[in-house]
Amino acid sequence: MAVVTPKMIGERIKRREDPRLIQGLGTYVDDIKLPGMLHLAFKRSDIAHGIIKSIDVSEAQSMPGVELVITGAELKEFLPPMPIGTPFPSPDHYSVAVDRVRYQGEPVAVVVAADRYLARDAADAIVVDYEVLPAVIDPEVAMQGQPALVHEAFENNLAVPYVPGGTGFDAEAGTVDNSAVDKAFAEADFTLSQRMMNQRLAPTAMEARGVVAHYEPGKDTLTIWSSTQNPHILKTFVAALTGIPDNQVRAIAPEVGGGFGCKINIYGEDYVAAALSKQLGKPLKWIEDRSEAFQATIHGRGILAYVDICGKNDGKVTGLKIKLIADIGAYNMILTAAIPTLTMLMLNGTYDIPAIRAELTEVFTNKMPTDAYRGAGRPEGTYFVERAMDMVARHLGMDPAEVKRKNFIKADQFPFATQMGAVYDSGDYEKTLDLALKNANWEGLKAERDRAKSEGRLVGLGVSFYVEVCGLGPSASLPTGGWEYSSVTVERSGKVTATTGSSPHGQGNETTFSQMLADQFGIPMSDVTILHGDTGVVKQGIGTFGSRSQAVGGTVLMKAGDKVKDKMARFAAAMLNPNEETDASEMVFQDGTIYFRDAPGNSVTFADVAAYAYVPVPLPEGLDPGLSEQAFWEPSNNTYPYGCHISMIEIDRDTGEPKLLKLIAVDDCGTVVNPLIVEGQIHGGLAQGIGQAMIEEVVYDDDGQLITGSFMDYAMPRATDFPRFELDKTVTPTPVNPLGAKGVGEAGTLGSTPCIVNAAVDALSEFGVTHIDMMLRPEKLWRIINQGGKS
Amino acid sequence: MEVSGDHKFEAPRTAVWAALLDPAALKASMPGCEKFEEVGTNSYDLTIRIGIAAIKGTYTGNVQVVEPVENESYRLVVSGTGKPGRVQGDAKLMLSDEGEGTRVTYTGEVKAQGAISRLGSRLLGGAARLMIGQFMKAMEEQVARREEAQDAKEKGA
Repeated sequence: MAVVTPKMIGERIKRREDPRLIQGLGTYVDDIKLPGMLHLAFKRSDIAHGIIKSIDVSEAQSMPGVELVITGAELKEFLPPMPIGTPFPSPDHYSVAVDRVRYQGEPVAVVVAADRYLARDAADAIVVDYEVLPAVIDPEVAMQGQPALVHEAFENNLAVPYVPGGTGFDAEAGTVDNSAVDKAFAEADFTLSQRMMNQRLAPTAMEARGVVAHYEPGKDTLTIWSSTQNPHILKTFVAALTGIPDNQVRAIAPEVGGGFGCKINIYGEDYVAAALSKQLGKPLKWIEDRSEAFQATIHGRGILAYVDICGKNDGKVTGLKIKLIADIGAYNMILTAAIPTLTMLMLNGTYDIPAIRAELTEVFTNKMPTDAYRGAGRPEGTYFVERAMDMVARHLGMDPAEVKRKNFIKADQFPFATQMGAVYDSGDYEKTLDLALKNANWEGLKAERDRAKSEGRLVGLGVSFYVEVCGLGPSASLPTGGWEYSSVTVERSGKVTATTGSSPHGQGNETTFSQMLADQFGIPMSDVTILHGDTGVVKQGIGTFGSRSQAVGGTVLMKAGDKVKDKMARFAAAMLNPNEETDASEMVFQDGTIYFRDAPGNSVTFADVAAYAYVPVPLPEGLDPGLSEQAFWEPSNNTYPYGCHISMIEIDRDTGEPKLLKLIAVDDCGTVVNPLIVEGQIHGGLAQGIGQAMIEEVVYDDDGQLITGSFMDYAMPRATDFPRFELDKTVTPTPVNPLGAKGVGEAGTLGSTPCIVNAAVDALSEFGVTHIDMMLRPEKLWRIINQGGKS
Repeated sequence: MEVSGDHKFEAPRTAVWAALLDPAALKASMPGCEKFEEVGTNSYDLTIRIGIAAIKGTYTGNVQVVEPVENESYRLVVSGTGKPGRVQGDAKLMLSDEGEGTRVTYTGEVKAQGAISRLGSRLLGGAARLMIGQFMKAMEEQVARREEAQDAKEKGA
């Protein structure tokens, strides 16, 4: 194989996507306009739970310009329930409710009209009469079967009644042996218990959802543009539900303005647009408004935990029991039921805890379903474990960083099989902790906090450590398949075109993947074009989630590139030494030329070799014309990036208002292709983690009415809410892929929430408080300050 | 959401009580009331147009007078549906003497569903207080008018 001298990999290259995006030159779904296109609007339920007694569409139907008004019961005749991607039993979930509504915002009827505004007016003119049923809101009450059942077939509202995990759990036999866990707790010097809520969040991508469906009757083909993270999965699912063969469906994700997990799902609106376009033989468009996004795009988190942690007085943690209750909302979406199992998987954290018992129950409530939101289950697990570890340090009067160090999985223990069943690939946690403490000037910060406290100020420090499962993953762990796909073509001109199934929505793949190919072929980055997001162009793919773009998508790109390069080396060898048997693996690709390693003075240009490969006269023996190859690849294991976050917070004694003073992060995501993009991903993750810790929360009232239905009531963090982030990295490559990259997209959401709450508890320690549930609302903190530690 | 307050009427309790149960006076006092129709004992269908920010729209619904205790108290149970969503209200009105006049004290709960709840919940309390204020002021005028009519009738007799 030819030798590549890394040049672009590791460089801080500005994203090549940005100039078009910040100039308004990107094409999003809403920019797609087709001749004769009609518009959809959805009539949505105003109530959380009820039986549909009647739907009067007469006024809507009579409005000029309205093409069609259709109810859920009518759609059911040709649109089956939506498929899911998890193995748990699931109630039928129709794109549009048939006879009963189960969350506020659930669609009950659809209007097709000449323009968007008319469609909305007509939807407003639909009158639905409900028999209102009690709303099931509190998951712990719901588990008692009260005050109603969300789905009759699911006793006590249990979507997933009981999943055990941890020490002594035999997955094959389905048995649980509690003896080790019981012994750990019986012999412990102390046991601490805490109920912790990881609250519901709204993903709030800057671009809301949207779909354009174009069925062409003459060809029996469907083209569907959707703001999605995984067009290939969308294509497969839409084909299955509409009955159009999958080789007749083309799915396109144009520019996607953020996803954060919420655009993994294929939603009812996508299926309805496709099915009605087929029915009417006309192109249809639906663009979600912000109000709909709050109500009817999946929510994240919403997991309650009862945590017991025990240990020895020297700081060694010997046992952990965590009972998880996931409030999953009204239905299963694609990955809904699987997300809390990721929380379970990560309950070891970064620690060698000898005995862990985890239990998971998932509960239906009358709320929007939850699903993947940046971190997807892992931030919840990290939060519970890191809060518990902090409670141990506080109980023992030890430095929380030292308690972590004492319990860490050591560098020589990798690969490390956890009690929860994960196999951590690589790590050196102490090195990362040491760098974070050094960068933070930890001892100095502690002195600063103590000085502030002595002046009567409420200042606190928090430290957290996380490990995340990323680079998903082997096919055994993903129902869609865990591989990725890429093709690389060297064009006749010598320019390079590559396709990737990793469909980006802000990850900057066009930049990082160009950097990789530039190095691989020894050509300028500007000669590389990366295509993505169109199943008509990218033959296969899985998509972008679970921080897998670089680790999986990047690796397969390199594999496809290697195939083309091998062939091109043989063409080059034939040009340089037409009459000799040569070893193509000795070819060097550098500076737009190709030459034998031992004869750098005698080279051919990259472009000349490309031209030759397409008009190969004479055709070298054993070679076919052309330079285009594809590859599939899947990793043997997930990757496990990790990091340490430290924060300093001050709480106003008079008002309870918290202010984040410092945030120091050291992350280890293995090999870094572009530090600028990695830092950008960490910034975004931190912003969303800080948002969760401090100001974000989805709130439903007792009747299931969404109270936080707009940006007036749902607080999005802004730049002014953040201190300057102090970032650094350690690099511990993964052995799982040849790049050594682990993934970083979600990391910032993991470390930030516990480190901020740990800091808030530290700031308020004089009031005897040991835990505060997120978010850190000033009123909640004021009550702790003024009511003796009770929030 | 809870709404409470009071209003002083410069009229005797019996006069205030009678006005508060008079469909004509009720209709005239309700802000934006376009229709007010008796559909049963103490039960009225109504249409109200509200012009306040996020809850703007035309609402159709029903209002019932429940548990009347003469000259003392009654409950008003209101439900309405409009494009922005549904509103339900349940308020208790209590009358007491204050000097020569009457004090009407009210406590109640307003519930909203749909877009009103989502977008207007923070405005709902203010809107409810504003509308109750308008109602009480208009009702004051109705009480005065009824008294004048009563006086005229007595003089005529």
